[in-house]
Amino acid sequence: MKYRLIGVALIVLALGLSSDAFATPSNLLNVLRQASLIFLSASGLTLVIVGAGLDLSVGANLGLSACFAAAAIKATGALSSGFAAGLACGIIVGLLNGLMVTKLRLPPFIATYGMLWMLYGVNYWYMKGDTIYGFPSSFRALGSGDLLDIPIPVYLMVIGLLAGGVFTRYTTLGHEVYAIGANAEAARLSGIPVSSRLILLYTLSGAMAGLAGVIYLARLNSAEAGIGTPLLLPAIAAVLIGGTSLFGGSGGLAGTMIGAIILTLVLNGMNLLGINSNWQPLVTGVIILFAALIDSVTRRHAELGA
Amino acid sequence: MTFGERLKFPFKGLVLLTAGVVLAACGETKNRETIALFTKNQTNPYFQTVRVAAQAAAKESNVDIINYIPTSNDSIPEQMNQIEDAITKRPSAVVFIPVDSKAMIPGVEKFNAAGIPVVNLIDRADGGQFVSFVGCDDYAVAMNTARYLFEKMNGKGNVIIIEGQGGSSNNQKRMAGFRKALEDFPNVKVLASQTGNFQRAMALQVTENLLQAHSQIDGILAANDAMALGVIQALDAANRKALVIGLNGTKEAIDAVKAGKLLATGDCDGFLQGCMGTMAAVRHLRNLPVPPEVVFPITVFDSTNYQGADAPYEQRMCPKWESIVKD
Repeated sequence: MKYRLIGVALIVLALGLSSDAFATPSNLLNVLRQASLIFLSASGLTLVIVGAGLDLSVGANLGLSACFAAAAIKATGALSSGFAAGLACGIIVGLLNGLMVTKLRLPPFIATYGMLWMLYGVNYWYMKGDTIYGFPSSFRALGSGDLLDIPIPVYLMVIGLLAGGVFTRYTTLGHEVYAIGANAEAARLSGIPVSSRLILLYTLSGAMAGLAGVIYLARLNSAEAGIGTPLLLPAIAAVLIGGTSLFGGSGGLAGTMIGAIILTLVLNGMNLLGINSNWQPLVTGVIILFAALIDSVTRRHAELGA
Repeated sequence: MTFGERLKFPFKGLVLLTAGVVLAACGETKNRETIALFTKNQTNPYFQTVRVAAQAAAKESNVDIINYIPTSNDSIPEQMNQIEDAITKRPSAVVFIPVDSKAMIPGVEKFNAAGIPVVNLIDRADGGQFVSFVGCDDYAVAMNTARYLFEKMNGKGNVIIIEGQGGSSNNQKRMAGFRKALEDFPNVKVLASQTGNFQRAMALQVTENLLQAHSQIDGILAANDAMALGVIQALDAANRKALVIGLNGTKEAIDAVKAGKLLATGDCDGFLQGCMGTMAAVRHLRNLPVPPEVVFPITVFDSTNYQGADAPYEQRMCPKWESIVKD
């Protein structure tokens, strides 16, 4: 964890020195707001990956949940119906993923990749190229508003972080997730109900994607079928940059928050410095590799020193 | 469209599917002419408008439309595969919107080699042989809309540009149009030009960042409407004001013009293009004259002229060919 913070600190330092607009309270809150959306979509996914699974459907699930939430709010006028529709969609998709992985024994990559395409298909059919837009400002505030000068999505990130921290550190269930991720067979032999735990994790990932979908809807004030497509890779990248291993058994939500902040800082910095659009993908790649390199070098150094 | 209405569709679809199977089984389907319509993606409402218009035109002319739409937005390899699929099914004619004006040239050449007539719609391909090009000029649309903005700014002030997907020929033409307009307004200063990848969410995020860096922004040029609407969300949330323009004339953008949030959106009518592209293909099949180019006038929709453009496109009718194309 602490090594990852070195990467963040270096990026922050570099940006602070090169742009006057960077190290202002309003810009730092702006970065946190943007990072919290990536964090929300990646939070459930983090736990799935800790359990040695994978959920490639988070972006598509987020998109479909946002569209259903939008349609529900338009149909009923009640914001609660939007939350209900978005969360229900997310949870059902997550549950189906969990069942495919455990009961049908499909590899997580394939099960959730198949789900991704099915969700795109449902969404394309449902939306027919339309956009649903125009929501009340009380709803939009969830994505773009502030409470006591702090962006509302940031509260959600903090709540998610605390709840996740308690779950992974202080509950038996949380410990079981790490045990399953480290060695599923050993976990099963020691009496952990692996299948039901995995189903729970995938459902949680789906639920968080659904919630993130509703928050994205509030932020964008509109839903279209393609809304979640560009969000999958950043979510996975945030988890992995945050130090959660794709092989399972290690990592956690704090790391994912760091990963989300790193990804957000890169774009924020490039925009503030006015980096030419053509160079932005290259710069993004270099900085991500740089952050990962600092992490691995400092960690190896610390391990050797210890 | 309500929640319920949206859900009713699969049943209709099932009925149609069953009917189709029964008809096909009886071998009673007539040998109708088919037109393969290639659009760029499932998600941009603009292409949905084109598809609805093409369907309307096809119905009037008694031909069938087969839609080819990449499942990944604007995917070059996928459109290439779909071209090969279409050739094996031998449609009577093709109405083709290339996902990329250079990369799809070999695809057009495959149609040419197979002897299937192709009408090039909306985005001009840089090569291959076509019966006709039906569309308008992205460069000119961008230029006119930018000029409109600069005039509203009294020819001076600070602007930012939200670019589309780097490397896409669409984006290059639109940026060239913006740049050309800037040449005529030396007192308009570009503070930043950053990419939003044609995506609403990214445009929103990039605008939030740029608002942090620049305290005085008078105008914002977005390379499509979805991004312009993302820009507006960022301005609203930050309680900032700027004149915003978008391109495409989508219904959502027109509604934003109506609400006074968006200054203008530049467009040549997607519905009209869908109609005329299909009609050009039909006319070619029936040996009626089709000019090599049908280029539409550009409209910059603002608060004075949006009326009519905000009507649901399902209710619109295709115009007569002769009312648009005059010899």
